[in-house]
Order: sequence, then C-alpha cells, then structure tokens
Amino acid sequence: MTPPTPPVLRFDGVSFAYGGGSGPPVLRELSFALGAGERVALLGRNGAGKSTVARLITGLLYPGAGTVWVGDWDSRGRRPEELARRVGSVFQHADQQLFARTVREDVAFGPRALGHDAADCDRRTAHALDLLELAALADEHPYDLPPPFRKLAALAGALALEPLVLVLDEPTAGLDRGLQGRVARALDERAARGTTLLVITHDLGFAAETLDRALVLDAGRLARDEPLHQWLVAPGRLAPLGFVPPPLVELSLALALPGTPVRAAAVADALAARCREP
Amino acid sequence: MRRLHPFTLLALAAALPLLAWILPAPRGALAPALAAATLAAAAGPRRVLLPALLTAAPLWFFLFILHGVGGMLVFGVRLTAMIASFVWLVAVLPPARLVEAMVAAGWGAPSAYLFAATLSAVPLLQQRARRIVEAQRCRGLSPRGSPLARLRALRALALPLVLSALHEVDERALALETRGLGAGHRRTPLAPPPDSALQQAARLALLLACGLALAWRLR
Repeated sequence: MTPPTPPVLRFDGVSFAYGGGSGPPVLRELSFALGAGERVALLGRNGAGKSTVARLITGLLYPGAGTVWVGDWDSRGRRPEELARRVGSVFQHADQQLFARTVREDVAFGPRALGHDAADCDRRTAHALDLLELAALADEHPYDLPPPFRKLAALAGALALEPLVLVLDEPTAGLDRGLQGRVARALDERAARGTTLLVITHDLGFAAETLDRALVLDAGRLARDEPLHQWLVAPGRLAPLGFVPPPLVELSLALALPGTPVRAAAVADALAARCREP
Repeated sequence: MRRLHPFTLLALAAALPLLAWILPAPRGALAPALAAATLAAAAGPRRVLLPALLTAAPLWFFLFILHGVGGMLVFGVRLTAMIASFVWLVAVLPPARLVEAMVAAGWGAPSAYLFAATLSAVPLLQQRARRIVEAQRCRGLSPRGSPLARLRALRALALPLVLSALHEVDERALALETRGLGAGHRRTPLAPPPDSALQQAARLALLLACGLALAWRLR
C-alpha cells in the first residue's frame, strides 16, 4: 500500500533478534511506510513482535539488519532522547514513569527536556491536558490519581512533545469507555494536525473507531497491510491470526448492512436507514 | 551451587560476612571477602561479580574520604564481603525454592514469604528501573552529561521507582491476604528441595566456625 504523503516512518527490510542477534528472530525483513497523519493499528498475537517494533522506532533497540527511518533520520546511532524530538511514545505501565509533584509539571517534562522555551512548554502542556480533559487535575500529585488517570497523564506527556510519530502500546488497557473516548478524541485531533499514529492494541473495537490502516504481524513477518475496515470485515482472515471481530462488526456482517460499517456512528446510521425502509 | 539446599546457600551467605566482621581486618577479613567474591565470580563474572563490585565501589570511595586508607581497607573489605555474598545469594537462590524449604522445615508461610520477598525484590526492582529509564529517555531525558545533569536525571528515575515499589507492596499484601497467607494453616510443601547429611554437617560447621571465631576474638 502506498502512503498518501511522503513517509515519516519507514521500515526497510528490518530484521531483529534479541541477545545481540543470537536469539531466535523476532522480526524478519519487515518493510512498511507510514505517511503524515496516518492512523495505523499494529496488530498481532502476543509475541508477534509488536513491542519490538515500538522499541526500534524509539531507539531503545537498533535493527540487526535493514533500516528504520524516522523522517530522514536513520534510527541507528541516534539515542532515544534524540529521537524523542520526532517520536512520542507511551509504553505499557506508563503510569509508573510519572515523578513530578503535579500532573502539569510531569506533562511539561518532555518539552522542557527537549529545550523548548517556557511559553511554548506552557502552551504544549495546556493543550495536551485539554485534549485529554485533565485540566481540572493538573495541580494534583500524579500518585494521588487512580491508575487510569495516571495513564492519561503519561499519554498527555507524549502528546505535549507534539511529535511527528506517536507510538502507543495498549493505550486503552484498563480504561473505561469514557476514558477510551477521551483517548480517541485526543488521537483524532493529533492525526488531523499531521501526527502519524501507530497504535499497538488488542482492542479491535477501539481500533475500528479510531484507526484506518492495519499492519498485522505474524511471527515477526508482516502478514497483512491493508485498510483496517477491509481486514475487520473478513472474519476468515482474522481467525487464523487469533482475532475475533468486535461486536459491532459482527452485527454489521450479520445484518448485511450496506458498506458493512464498523464504527458505532456509521452502524447506527445504517440501522436507522434500514428501519426507515418500507 | 544452585543444587545445594537453600539453607546451605543461606548459611554460606550469612557466614562469610559474619566471619569478615568477626575476624581482624583487613587481613583476617580478606579470606571471607575473597571467598564471597569467588562465589560471585563463579555464578557469573558480569552478571553477579561486576554488579557487586560496582555497588561496593562508591562505599570504598566514601570510606577513603572519611577514614583514609586504613579505615577504607578495614571497612571496605568487610562491606564488600557483605555485598558480594548478598548479590551471590540473590543470583543462585530462587525465592520459590527457599519458600518450599522453609515451609518443609515447619516455618510459617508469612515468615517464609518475608525472606523470599526480600530476595525477589532485587531483580524486580532492576527490571522496573530499566523500564523507567527507557520511558524517561523516550521523553527526552538524557542520563549522560555533567554530574549535575546526572543528579537531576536521578530524581526522574528514583522517584517513580520508589513510589511504584511502595505501591506494589500494598497490592502484594492484599493479594497474599486474599489467597489465605494469614489464615494460620500450615502450608503444604509440594516439592521440598532435597537435603543431605553432608550439607547439614556443612551448615553446622559454618555455624561453629562463626562461634569459634567470635570466642577467639572475645578471649
């Protein structure tokens, strides 16, 4: 699939094995390219290599073979703190990285560490807090908040970097529907402003609502690269990779709704239209 | 070494630092310290001995500043014996095996867990610290640079580590309670580690050696 704009993230034949290359291969000749503002779901079973992809993009690991390009930067030889200028990331257990006295200070940590001036840090911080509706909690101590809100605070920290690429590992794990909605709206806004989203998730319902393209890994290889909608409405392709279609997709398929919509609003519209039919 | 009964490993790890503190330093303490370092090296020069030496190094530095060369040698050798023994024990003794041995010997499950939790905390904290360092670097924090910059970075690394560890203690305590740890029943040992008369004699010998060394020092 050709990305709509010049790639901001590109994997060129990337292979990787832990243990300095002596372990079993985790990624095998992986190639794909993501354009600005693309919303991509990185899917696959546990152990398929998804988190390794995230670590390669952030510079925590370097490819054994091939190249990871972030814009025109070859990730090899660039430290994670350098790549943070272009890549924002939130890993699992992100709530454990908070350390400042207030949520606001913690969110501002990234922009400050990258040397943005005070006014710009304030603007980025306020905007990130607004996006996730955390402004009311900005002066709370992060560890006084329940874990789901700490997770949102960590995500706000990544949003405040205003990166070219945002890599999120299970951003909705442990969040209720309301908080998932906040994450979805924040990601929508970022993507609309040109940030490329690469979201590792097992939550196909969230992916269907928020993302457009599916990269599916199987045993370290790229098994699928296609529009997410197209992949979701083909249950025959999901099952071999250990996935089950989300309930809305099953409903859409069962009722043979026109266009087989997968997002809640589109399914509701299609159902309403069906009800109006004579 | 890993096949030895957990009590034998514990006895060795306790006896070496004890002897290092009881025997006159630096000469007398040198043998137990060297024995502890040898055990650590045998368990893994990079994985066990190196972390032990790196942990001890700043203590030697501060001892030198506070007490000069003489004091540094006297206390440094003893502290190194302690650290090397502990790091070696953590490396060779799986906490679950210790719990089995203690339960089989009739200890209460809570006290067995207390020992095991202390030993298992080290690798868990190491893993968590690594995760936090990675997360902060991805937010632009550089752990390099001047000593002042490193000191600033330390706060971003140490605080989440300590706070999350404290938080986990709470959760673990609750999880253990809900699984009946404090119910007062004797826990069933499923696979007690094998012991032998030779190992029991060795443990007794280590205890005697410590007692004799103490008596010799107090005479």
